[in-house]
This record gives sequence, C-alpha cells and structure tokens, in this order.
Amino acid sequence: MIEFKNVSKFFNDKQILRDISFMINQGELVAIIGASGCGKTTILKMINRLIDSFSGKIFINGEDIVKQDIIKLRRNIGYVIQQTGLFPHMTVKENIEIIPKIEKMHEEKIIKRTYEVMEMVGLNSDEYLNRYPSELSGGQQQRVGIARAFATNPKIILMDEPFSALDPITRLQLQDELINLQAKIKKTIVFVTHDMNEAIKIADKICILNQGEIIQYDTPENILKNPVNDFVSTFVGKNRIWSSPEFIRAKDIMIDQPLTCSKNLSLLECVEKMKFTNADSLLIVDPCDYLLGIVTAKQTQNRSDRHVLVESIMKNDFIKISSDEPIINILEIFKQHKIVQAPVVDEKGLLKGLITQSSLLIALSQQFLDTEEVG
Amino acid sequence: MNEWFSYLFEFKNQIFSLSVEHIELTSLAVVIAILLGIPLGILISYVKRLNKPVLGVVGVIQAIPSMALLGFSIPLLGIGTMPAVVMVILYSLLPIIKNTTTGINNINLQTLEAAKGIGLTRLQILFKIQLPLAMPMIMSGIRIAAVTAVGLMTMAAFIGGGGLGYLVFSGIRTVNTDQILAGAFSACILAVVVDGVFGIIESLVTPTNLQKNNTKKKLMKMERNTLKKGVLVSVACVLVGLFFATGISQGYTENKVIVIGSKDFTEQEIIGYMLAEAIERKTDISVERKLALGGTQICFEALKADDIDIYVDYSGTCYGDTLKYSPITNVKTVYNTVKKDFKAKFNIDVLKQMSFNNTYTLAVKKETADKYHLKTISDLAKVGNQLTAATSLEFLNREDGIIGLKKKYNFHFKDQIGIDGSPKYLALMNNESDVTDAFSTDGLLKKYDLTILQDDQHFFPPYYAIPLVRAGVTAKYPEIVPIIEEVGELLNDNVMIALNYQVDELKKDPREVAIEFLRENKVI
Repeated sequence: MIEFKNVSKFFNDKQILRDISFMINQGELVAIIGASGCGKTTILKMINRLIDSFSGKIFINGEDIVKQDIIKLRRNIGYVIQQTGLFPHMTVKENIEIIPKIEKMHEEKIIKRTYEVMEMVGLNSDEYLNRYPSELSGGQQQRVGIARAFATNPKIILMDEPFSALDPITRLQLQDELINLQAKIKKTIVFVTHDMNEAIKIADKICILNQGEIIQYDTPENILKNPVNDFVSTFVGKNRIWSSPEFIRAKDIMIDQPLTCSKNLSLLECVEKMKFTNADSLLIVDPCDYLLGIVTAKQTQNRSDRHVLVESIMKNDFIKISSDEPIINILEIFKQHKIVQAPVVDEKGLLKGLITQSSLLIALSQQFLDTEEVG
Repeated sequence: MNEWFSYLFEFKNQIFSLSVEHIELTSLAVVIAILLGIPLGILISYVKRLNKPVLGVVGVIQAIPSMALLGFSIPLLGIGTMPAVVMVILYSLLPIIKNTTTGINNINLQTLEAAKGIGLTRLQILFKIQLPLAMPMIMSGIRIAAVTAVGLMTMAAFIGGGGLGYLVFSGIRTVNTDQILAGAFSACILAVVVDGVFGIIESLVTPTNLQKNNTKKKLMKMERNTLKKGVLVSVACVLVGLFFATGISQGYTENKVIVIGSKDFTEQEIIGYMLAEAIERKTDISVERKLALGGTQICFEALKADDIDIYVDYSGTCYGDTLKYSPITNVKTVYNTVKKDFKAKFNIDVLKQMSFNNTYTLAVKKETADKYHLKTISDLAKVGNQLTAATSLEFLNREDGIIGLKKKYNFHFKDQIGIDGSPKYLALMNNESDVTDAFSTDGLLKKYDLTILQDDQHFFPPYYAIPLVRAGVTAKYPEIVPIIEEVGELLNDNVMIALNYQVDELKKDPREVAIEFLRENKVI
C-alpha cells in the first residue's frame, strides 16, 4: 500500500531521515514512534507531500507519489492533526464538508456522508453539526477532526499525534474507539505518536525511529518480547510488558521440557523416573509427542500392583492449555479448576511444555524482581 | 446657538450638496484604497521581501503633511477632485495594508497546515481560510481608514475639490464661526455614520464565530443579519444613486465651457463669481466655477495645466513671485513686463488691469497706533523692536514682503510669527501680536477698525488685479475680453473694500454680493 524506498531527507545541513525503507500494508494501523526530532512527523508529512523534497522514492499502491497531482493526492488521504486542525471560523458541518463541497460531490450524498462520519466518531449530528469548534471540548474537536478525515472516504488516513493534547481519560476513550472503528473499516492508518502505551494499544505494527533511522519495525508483541537492541528495550521500558499482560503467553512461561514417558512404561518405571528427577507428575506422549495423558505421584502411591502399564492408570480428562493462551487466562483456569499444573499443547494436540504453580510464580515475580526478561 | 441653527437653515442646500460631494469623494477614495490595499496586503504577506519596502513607502506617505502632498500632486494631477481623492487613497493605504498583512500572518500555522494537508489549493486556502480568519483585522483597518478619510477629505477644498472642507476653509478665512461649525459638524456626523456603516459591513463579512459579541442566540443573529443587510443595501443604493445623479449632470457638458478659478480669499471669490455671472449672462458660454482653489502657486499651476482657463492675479505677485524679478514700484513697467513675459513664457494672455490695487500694507490696532504715534511704516520702524508681527506665511517668506520691508526701512521686529488667514486678526485682537500684514482692500480692516500704516518710502510694489487668461481661450472666445475689462474698470479700492466687508463682516454669500453689484452697475 505505502512503500518507502531508500528515503533520505535533509533540512539545511541536518540529516533528518537516513535511508528509510519500509512498507505499510493495506488495512494496517502502523504507529510511528520515537523521541521528538527523530523524524516521525517528517515521514508522515512526506506521504501527503507536505514535505516535498527528499531523495529516494515513496509509492502508494505502486505509484510514485511525486508523479501524482499533489492536490488530488492530498484529497485522497485523510489528515488528522493535533489540536487546532479544525478551521475556527467554520461550523462542524462546514469543516467536515469542505473537501466534498470543493470536489462538487452531490449535495444529498454529502449530507448523508456527514451524518455517517459523525455517527462513526460518536457525535450526535443534530446536536453538533451547527456548532463552532470553540464550542466543543477538546475530545469532541478531535472526533470532528477524525470525522473530517473520513469525509471523503479515503483509503489512507494520516494521524499526527491526534490524541496527545487530550486529558488521559478522553485519550484512552478515543484510543478504544479508534481500535473499534478500525476493526470495522479497515483503513490504512499511519499514526504518529510519542506515547509507547498508545502505540502498543492501537497499532498493528510499530515503527521505532531514532535519529532518522528505523530501529525496529514489528508487531507490538515482538517489540515487547524481542527488542532488537538496548535502545528499543530502554525505549520500550524494562517491565513494559506487564502493562500489556495479554502479550505474555503460555509458551513464554512454560517449562519447555517437562518429564514425559511412553504409554508402554510400567508404573514402577514411572515412579523411579519421578523420584529420580524429583518431579511429581509425568506426561504420557506417543512417539510423535502427541499428549495422551498424565500421571501424578499421588496416583502411584496407592497402587499395589506396580507392574501394570502406565497407560491403564493415566488420566486423560485433564485440562490442557494452548501455547498462545495469555497469562491472565491461565491464572483464571488454574483458579477455576483448582489445579496445580497443566500441560501446554499446540493446536494439533502435540505437547509443548508444562505450566506449574511454581513456573507461574517465577513468571509473575519478574515484574517486581529485576531478573531476566520474559520470553 | 440659535444663530447657528438659522445659519444651517439658511444654507441647508449648500451644506447638503457639499455633504453629498463629500460622501462621493470619500467613498470613491475608500473603495479604491480597499481595492488596492487588500491585494497589496495579501501580496506582501506572501512575498516577504516586499514587506519592508511597501510598508516603508506607505508609512512615509503617511508622515507627509496632507497640504504638502496636495502641493506635490498639483503639477502631476492638476487641481480639483482627482488629487484630493488620490491623497485620501494614499493616506488610507497604510491601515488597510498593514492590517491585512498582520491579519494573514497571525493565523495559526497548524490551521494552515491542516488546510494544506487536506488538499486545499493556495487560492482556496486564501479565500476560504486566510481571508475569513483575517477579516476582523482587515475590517478594523478599513474602518480606521474610512473614518480618517472623512476628516482628510476636508482638505479637498484646499485645491478646489469641494466637499465639506469648503465650509471650514472659507469659514476660517472670513472668521465665520457658524460656517466653520457647519462644515466641521457635518463632517463629524458623516464620520460617525461612516463608522456605523462599516461596522455593519464588518459584522456581515466577519465569520459569526469570530465576532466579539457572540453571546446572543443564533436565530436572533440571523434576523439581525437580514436587517443589517437591508441597511447596507439601502446605503449602497443611495451611493450608486448619488454617483449616477452627479455623473449624469457632469456627463451633460455643453461645448462652450470655460473654467474660472480663484485664490482662496473673499475678494478673489467675489471677482470669480462676478466674471462667471457676467460671462454666463452675456454670452452663450457656460462657466464652471473652481473658486477658492488655494494660493498663487496652486492657481497658476492649474492655469498652466489647463485645469482652469481664467483667474485673476495681482501684477506685483506675477512680477516678483512668478517671474522672480526683484520688486519695483513702477506700475507701468510691472504691468508691461508681466504681460510680455507671460505671453512669451506661458502663452497666457494678461488682460487690462483692474482699477484696484490690492497691495500689501501693514496694519495695527488703533490703541497701538495711538500709543506709539504710528502713521507711517517709518514710524513703525522706530519702535519695531518692541513689537511682534503676525503675518501670513506668504508675506513672511517673500522678498517683497517682510524680508525686503525690513531692509528698506532698516528695522527688526521683536518677534515674527506666520499665521494664515483670518486668525492673524484674532491674534492681533487678543494682543498676541501687534502688527499684521493686510491687503489694502481687505474687508476685515474695516471690521476690526484697524489703522493702516502708510508706505511712505514706497516699498510695496503695485498689486493691481490682472485677469490671466489662457491664450487659447481668448482666441476661441474673444467676446469674453470686453466683459472682463468692463467689470475690472468698475472695481476700485473703495468698491472692493465695501464688497469684501459685505461678505466678511455681514456674512453675505459672495455669489449674491457679486450678482447684486453687477445688477446695480447695469452690467447685467
């Protein structure tokens, strides 16, 4: 959809962007983040050519933007900016309809679209359309700003720190609404922010910039778990992941190589194995690692016949956890079923690991004790 | 007060027509200033390099005294309404340009970036965003310009442009407070009305949200807007009507027209009217009257520039001032030299000189004359260092004025002040000065009962009135020459003093005085 190819930019003698190349796919919400002066707004403004001279190429749908008519290009891209993007001398209606009217769209169509976008951003048309921006709260103004960007139904929307001037509660609310909206309309959105929480919350992908270079461009989860270097991990913050616990999954905290055995082992052999490794359970798998059942130390204690095959005494109605299950859900399951351990399997039922109360405790303690990163 | 009202009532037609003239001139000037100023303001807010030079030039113009600006413009633009309108335009430009560019430059940059970012073209940004947002600022500039223009336009009368200034100037000249008040008061009312009208325009063109009193409900506002639009439309209709009416009357010109001008004092106006009336009633030529234009410089430039065809000057003035000869006292030599030189140098015909000699003279109050036993200028020279002279600016600076006089009689004044027009008599009456210059035919001499000091050493050159006519005009209309000469013969010193007295002291209309005199002497 949007592709940057070896883009560099100088302001006077200062290099703002250094050979940037990346790709934004259709329907993705990409957050560009970095400290101030890192070039994030520059990247955004290059897309609608508010900043027009640079080396390298930028393509939208494979077309070089420099070769397009600049006014047409901008009208096909929604643009939302911080604070005063609205025109103070126009009503909400006039603000939203300015471009459709200039484009001489059909009158009825314009009105219909205006009501649509107002509803989309959660504002009552009858109440707000004839108000002036100064008669609205900051949050309402920003909603109108978003509505205006959607008025021409563009495929691409650029947002330049749209929520940064709002109070925290309104900001969270608008973020949530943007996520819901995006789930429905699936626009390609480029979102500049300096707030990591915001980026992690709303973005499909995050592009971390430092001094004009892309340091990491990846999903929020990967950036949290696998920061490419110290810059990213400091920027993201050491324990940042704990503010997004949905990204901590079973596979991140499980014991990777739990004790297993084949179904043909005798009970005696199983007891020996458990004693030897000081474990209190055994997972029974087939040769392909498919999980068949579980045997606990408790089960073995009351048995007199120690030569029966383990197959005949193992439990097979136990609780399994999928390897992508977030930690919150795992805690929930443990609590609900009053269990002390649970095997982790993939979608095919193959054994991946084991989660025990102690492995949960180790994982959870990491946010308070400065030990190794999760994952 | 009552007197004033009766004055207003008596001259209501004149006041009305002068007001109409004033409104026309002012609105013309302001409209042109707006049409020039706003685009210039826009230009310099885009092209920053032009900002300083344009505002610099306009600022400098603002600092030039209006009189001086008018003086400069006569050689280029002649006299009458044109230079007056140009002057007012020039003075109106600064607030309009300055406010336009300030208004545009003060717009929030983010707003402009948003406008650009959503895909407005440069022109769309200008007309949909920048100008509406700058409108309160621009309008306040226009309001300042318009109100100032009403006041400034009174200067138009100084060069024969007409308007309410005519009342003010001629009032000051003849110490006619009623007349001054009538002119000034009408101009004030006009300024208030203009401010009101522009206030309405301002509230109509300013985006609702940017207006200051934004508290009333919107519905109310819309009703009020319709009302305001109504007022505005009627004002516009009246203006257009005025222009049409006067335009048509100006457009209807007869083939045989001559223009008579005059300087800006009573005697000149009376003679101007006399010549005009006599020519109009005795021939089929129609006469355009451009009276009370200004001083010698203005009238003579106007004559050279073909703006006027005839005016009456004085032999000594032409000889010493225009031709720059050193003053002499021989009447014949002066006249013949002027006649010959004017024809040769300027192609101007000098007709036969009139019977009165309006020369300079010095006058003092009776008490002063008694106290120092003053009868002649020689007497004055003995006590000159105890006396203050308040004379006209022209007299102060002329070789045949105070400069030569002091050489000839070999004395100095304690102090000398330049005051123009009749205030110099007031200065004398208030004992702020002791001596003044006067013209020997001045009606005010009679009014203030002043003692005229005799020029016993014959310093002052002769100042006989001489009609100056463009040569082309005498050739085309030879019939006017005998008429002018007939009138000229009738006018001797005493007749002139009496006529001046009727206007200056008895407050009669100079035109009526002129007609009455012509009738009495059976000229018409």
